[in-house]
Amino acid sequence: MSYYFAIVGTQDNPLFEHEFGSSKQGGDGMSRFSEQARHMNQFIVHSSLDIVEEVQWGTGQMYLKCIDKFFNNYVSCFITGGNIKFLLLHQPTTPVSTASSRSSTSIAANPTSPQTEEAIKSFFIEVYENWVKTIMSPFYRVNMEVSSPTFRQRVAAAGRKYL
Amino acid sequence: MQSFDHDAPTEPLPAPPMAASNMKIQKNRMSSPSGGTPLAHSEATLPYRRSHPSAASLYASTFSPPGSRSQSPIARPGSRIASGSVFGANSNNALALVEGAGDVPGDPLNLVLRAFVPHIAVYSSDDTEVLLKDKGFELGLWELLRPFGERVQGKVIVRDSNGSSRTYEDYSVHFVRFGENVENPEPATGGIKTTPQPAHANGTSEKGDAARGASKRGGNLADVEAVVDRHLTYAEESFFGTTADGLSPQQGPGVDTPSPYYALYLRRLLSGLPITPHETFAHPVACIIAISSRCLAPIETLRRLYNESSTGDKRLPNWVDSEYLRYYVLVHDEEQDDITKSMSLFEQMKRNLGLHCHLLRIRGTQSAATDDDSIPLPRSEWMSASEELASIRRSESQEAFEDPTRYIFETDATAIRTFIREMVTQSIIPTMERHVSVWNDQVASRRRGLSGRFLGLTRKWGFGSTTKSSGTALSSGGNYDSLGFYRADTPEAIMRKLADYAFMLRDWKLAYSTYDLLRSDFNNDKAWRYHAATNEMAAISLLIMPQNISSKTRMETLDAMFEAAFYSYITRCTAPYGALRCLAIGLELLRLRGGSSIDDAARWGIRLLESKVMGPVGDALIKERVAVCYASKTGMGSQCWGSRRRKSAMWSILGAETWLTQQKYIQAQRCLNEARNMYSELPAEHGIDSFSHAGAFILGIGTQLNHQLDAADDGTDRSEDDSESEVDEESEELTTRGRRISIAGLPGATTANLEAAPLRSQVSGEGEEIDPGRPKDDFG
Repeated sequence: MSYYFAIVGTQDNPLFEHEFGSSKQGGDGMSRFSEQARHMNQFIVHSSLDIVEEVQWGTGQMYLKCIDKFFNNYVSCFITGGNIKFLLLHQPTTPVSTASSRSSTSIAANPTSPQTEEAIKSFFIEVYENWVKTIMSPFYRVNMEVSSPTFRQRVAAAGRKYL
Repeated sequence: MQSFDHDAPTEPLPAPPMAASNMKIQKNRMSSPSGGTPLAHSEATLPYRRSHPSAASLYASTFSPPGSRSQSPIARPGSRIASGSVFGANSNNALALVEGAGDVPGDPLNLVLRAFVPHIAVYSSDDTEVLLKDKGFELGLWELLRPFGERVQGKVIVRDSNGSSRTYEDYSVHFVRFGENVENPEPATGGIKTTPQPAHANGTSEKGDAARGASKRGGNLADVEAVVDRHLTYAEESFFGTTADGLSPQQGPGVDTPSPYYALYLRRLLSGLPITPHETFAHPVACIIAISSRCLAPIETLRRLYNESSTGDKRLPNWVDSEYLRYYVLVHDEEQDDITKSMSLFEQMKRNLGLHCHLLRIRGTQSAATDDDSIPLPRSEWMSASEELASIRRSESQEAFEDPTRYIFETDATAIRTFIREMVTQSIIPTMERHVSVWNDQVASRRRGLSGRFLGLTRKWGFGSTTKSSGTALSSGGNYDSLGFYRADTPEAIMRKLADYAFMLRDWKLAYSTYDLLRSDFNNDKAWRYHAATNEMAAISLLIMPQNISSKTRMETLDAMFEAAFYSYITRCTAPYGALRCLAIGLELLRLRGGSSIDDAARWGIRLLESKVMGPVGDALIKERVAVCYASKTGMGSQCWGSRRRKSAMWSILGAETWLTQQKYIQAQRCLNEARNMYSELPAEHGIDSFSHAGAFILGIGTQLNHQLDAADDGTDRSEDDSESEVDEESEELTTRGRRISIAGLPGATTANLEAAPLRSQVSGEGEEIDPGRPKDDFG
């Protein structure tokens, strides 16, 4: 499974982008997106903001679960109190139907299973903690891009830990 | 929001440069002999096509908005045009349906209503064919009648199963040639039917076309694709830029007129329905048996024709109900024959054959455009894809291509209109109503009652015993023949016919309830093709029905029906045509319902794309359509929460990309402009520009398009590129190459250019909307 994680500000502007792959079940943590997927990922994530805007009023939770699907890409969302959206696009490497019995229980093969939802939730919560700590910097203003290498490291670590 | 206009390498949105380039192109074509070919890689057939001014009329359906055709022989009531829109803010289209569906010819609901109409077979004697040939109609009476059937003049009153009357002003019928276009089922034991033409391997390939050209059969995806592709190519080549600019202002995704190419695609998809066992729309409701006044032994000929149509070797297969109405027509030649003799013969006909008779008085000579009282006969809107393809191909291959437009006398047109109106209102509709009520009482209501349900479960009810005695029925399949069809006299076939008749009479409720009953029957019998078709029509009639559908019904019923239909068509029957038709109609009808149905519509559209049943043209059109779908969802409040503008823009971009790979630059440009509009309307400041890769991708498409359009401009139009020297250089390079090709590769290029002048004048004389001067006027 390949992941594309984006933090989107209030003006639909990306504040932080990170690509990584699954580290569970022997994954090497590298993303397997094709070259064409690079821009498609951004289109997909951007277009799923439409859904976020609709779904966010229907629940009291910050974690909105899997909100959108584009062919074989699934988008999960977490929305912060400041209307900053965490969007995680996950793309199972193999289509769900052809997965073998052993790997079919893994997170990577079941983008909508409860286990996956839980794992993504943990990931989001950990990122959220780090996010709050990062933007507490006195030099940070709303909708500024976050370029802190520490933050990137911590997001990568959270990805390794849960996904 | 402004960033698009500043940074974009393509023309900014308001499009004055495009209009300017337009003018230049025209100027080029008129004056300079070397400035010909707009696109360097255009087909070699180009000069031919351009040299035939009349070829433009072949493409009239996409070139001018079909609504503005002034040449329709059928007088349209003026009020209908203004009040005709089915679309609107309300999600409930009840009102529009009661009034008669929208008059906008490209409107999808209208297309559905006009596709599934009674089919009337025409079977005429040899002397009638000769008479019509003298009149200039090679294909006989059928060819003359066909355009008039597409709109029955005046009001048509239909009584539904509850006895209440409804009036329709836009009723139509299709005329078909008797015994043509029959598609035989394959044995049920085979199970999987191979497609006649794999949808992917078509495109613009010329191979195998000769073989297919002869058949007039509809339902062939490859032909549909090819026809639309020809139209697109023609637009690219000859009126470069005019179409896109002239039409695009009215064609934003928010506006409900579909692009002419999509409308054409749908229409060709739905026209020329073959006679198949699993649905009875194309089965003849009536058969016109025609003789002419030149006939020497009229009554005997009529008898012979009747016998041939019902027992002879021309009779339809045994899954077609042979009890359809016979309508006898005496074609009288006003110029050569004696009317008193014809009148007495007509009286004799009425005495012998009953009341379903008509005396059609027409003039036997050919009408020319120069005659005082002649009017042009339009081309049939509902010709099948293969037929249109054949005529386009003919126009390309012949050196001396004659104008396909036929002329007939005003008096003839009036006579035919009266004839069709009389036949439809006095014979065909009453007969259909009677059939519906009889079948409903005798067959369907038995199944609807409590006992019927039990009987239906056990499948042992006596009605089918007659057919079981034929010995071919499988024990498990009930009435489902091992040959792969239900015979016409089995209750299942009759009920399917009942439902189809009800659908054609626009009694959606009865149609739906009957389809619904049949679904489970066909499922039990494992008659998959029937199952798919029934599910499809059940879903469609449920969607057309004017009542509101709760989201629960939608989820449980509609989705299940579409799913079943799609799965059966694709997986069990390998019938991509059915799958495409089902989902394309479903997408349109769901979209019309508005609200959350739009998400469903888009979902089915994406499903269709995923299944890859379409060729490249269909693929791009559906992508465009998904964008329109999403765009038609309105949000709430100032932020438009719940709208799908970002999604719509993304699909427009995908559409633009697909068009670009097919070298359809006008379409690509249009999609790209729509996407830019959408993005600039977003409340966010920068649209998608702040996403680096995506923004670069859009720019890339824009730059590529610019190069192509500049190449087409032949380097003369450079004023808007002055700011960007790099683009400028490249375009010059491209264009010189293009010019060289145009001179060297195409020997007819010079003459073609000279001959472009009559084409211009002719077309601009035909209708204002394709007047080349107009874009300039619009954009100042």
